[in-house]
Amino acid sequence: MEARPALSIQRSGASQLGSLGVSGGLSSSLSIPSTHLEGTYQKLPDIQQVPSERELTTRPQAHATRVPTNNGSLADTASLPLSQSSSSLLPQPTIPSCCNKENSGSWCTDPDFLDFPEWADQLITCDDALTSNWNELLVDNVTNLEPKMACQVAKPCTTMPAQNQQLPSPSVESLRVVNPSSSANNAPAKPRMRWTPELHEAFVEAVNQLGGSERATPKGVLKLMKVDGLTIYHVKSHLQKYRTARYRPESSEGSSEKKLTSMEEISSLDLKTGMGITEALRLQMEVQKRLHEQLEIQRNLQLRIEEQGRYLQMMFEKQKSGLDKLKVSSSNPENPAATSDATKEAPTKSELESSQRDHLDSGTGTVNNAKSMLERSSREMGGEDMATEAGDLEKTKARVSETSPEQAAKRSRIKE
Amino acid sequence: MKFGKRLKQQIEESLPAWRDKFLSYKELKKLVRQISSAESCVEYGKANAEAEFVHLLNNEIDKFNVFFMEQEEDFIIRHKELQQRIKRVIETWGPNGTKPSEAEYKDEMAKIRKDIVNFHGEMVLLVNYSNINYTGLAKILKKYDKRTGGLLRLPFIQKVLQQPFFITDLVSKLVKECENIIDEVFPVEQEDEEEIVKEQREAITVAGKGIFRNTVAALLSMQEIRRGSSTYGHFSLPPMDLPDSDLIHSFQLNSPIPIV
Repeated sequence: MEARPALSIQRSGASQLGSLGVSGGLSSSLSIPSTHLEGTYQKLPDIQQVPSERELTTRPQAHATRVPTNNGSLADTASLPLSQSSSSLLPQPTIPSCCNKENSGSWCTDPDFLDFPEWADQLITCDDALTSNWNELLVDNVTNLEPKMACQVAKPCTTMPAQNQQLPSPSVESLRVVNPSSSANNAPAKPRMRWTPELHEAFVEAVNQLGGSERATPKGVLKLMKVDGLTIYHVKSHLQKYRTARYRPESSEGSSEKKLTSMEEISSLDLKTGMGITEALRLQMEVQKRLHEQLEIQRNLQLRIEEQGRYLQMMFEKQKSGLDKLKVSSSNPENPAATSDATKEAPTKSELESSQRDHLDSGTGTVNNAKSMLERSSREMGGEDMATEAGDLEKTKARVSETSPEQAAKRSRIKE
Repeated sequence: MKFGKRLKQQIEESLPAWRDKFLSYKELKKLVRQISSAESCVEYGKANAEAEFVHLLNNEIDKFNVFFMEQEEDFIIRHKELQQRIKRVIETWGPNGTKPSEAEYKDEMAKIRKDIVNFHGEMVLLVNYSNINYTGLAKILKKYDKRTGGLLRLPFIQKVLQQPFFITDLVSKLVKECENIIDEVFPVEQEDEEEIVKEQREAITVAGKGIFRNTVAALLSMQEIRRGSSTYGHFSLPPMDLPDSDLIHSFQLNSPIPIV
């Protein structure tokens, strides 16, 4: 099934950024009044370490009896994942999510069910009065869970241990304040799932089997789909989107605002040039295709550039390690002739080298040694490969840019 | 400064719901300036500042990821629905349908056509969103390295390349499928097409904040950004080769901010 690969891609992507948590690229957000947000934000530094340890010990006992019901499972799951993240907690900007106590339906989408399938099973067995159960849960545990919610949400945005420091400068604070308000409204506080068309097909199948989008329940769909790692929250939100898309097909193609303006723009095109709607649409389509084409080209270029940068970096590091062995030999001053040769042969190295140079410049001859070593070895070793690789990239760049001077000239004419 | 201005323009001309989802380029630039000016402080402080910078970048990336995946999910649903809708219309009001009616058929198809084109446009704008944010990140990292002598850029950008928001393959695939659908359901006569292309040479005014306007703005912006800068190097993108560039430039976007 597609679910696993999609999830794993997301996870590995996330883990590349450090301990982003099991849930992958996730930010928080339940809707929350901003004043509440500030309050929580301030509280965090004090309580961040406490809840996970304390809750871990007390939670299982407190909820042992509640396990058979679904109330307990939710809370337990909420506490357990935090053990993973306690070391990386940090007050940080995108916190917006504390529970919105009024909206029980959207509460507690935090818990990372990906790791606790047994809890998910228990959820599945419950009936659709889940929301009322959540309400109860909120009333019981709100003080304990609230900081944990915020803390868990903080989890994905942390990376390095050093981050537990506060940055003193005021303008950084302003940046931090900017972020919460923007992400408060959009990112859901649940593990993010990357949907694919195949997964959606399976979803639609399941929904149809259950009698249509109105009659199908998240629990039922989840059971039918039988996809590992898919949680009821994912299904719930997807079902909601699906229902919206089906029963308001006009506005699903864009908000009503957008709809108006696209009508507006088409009629304005119509008036101005006497173009029919068909032609206007065709024109729009052409321009869109053009943009997409350019985006693909640009993206490929960007990938290649970085690929090459990575390759050069690797080469450089190889040389650095080789350098250590040769350190005993004389520290020759850099040979200007060698430098110019190398520059001609592998021009793309120059930027990498200059940044390396800045970094390494400790006044010893090692930098110069490294450079000349790199140049010499590249000539011997991968010199040819690198040169062709560099050549290819340069050729692509040249091709792409050959019409640009003309365009620039035209542009200046038109602007007048 | 040029990119910052371009980005701001793009944001202003983007779909309203998207405006706060872009990179906070200006703020990050301020931070870099701050960090570099406090360079004289101890190593400890420097590592700290870098950690903070990385942390903020990660927040931005999270923001992109969440937004992107949310939109992508919507697109998947809408794509499927569109196909179903077309099927339904053909089967109901089409010539071989259950209640054939040319008027209804034409009417519904016209609506569908408009919707497909706008849908296509929105998806392309999402790809553009991904790209512009990536470009911004690459630039800010380059600035950081340059100003602080750090070596953050290369490894960090590698991680960015793996992020969900940068992996736009699925959306691109949906875009292409949309193009196929339109070609299938609304086939174009060859002569018509050539004629139309000639007609398009007239200058027209694109009003409103619609998808079309945003697309044109995005294209022009992209071209501007890549026009070549003072810091052009081997990690920079070359100037853009934009066919029909004069056509696109002839769309005068009537906004108070001139696109120069």
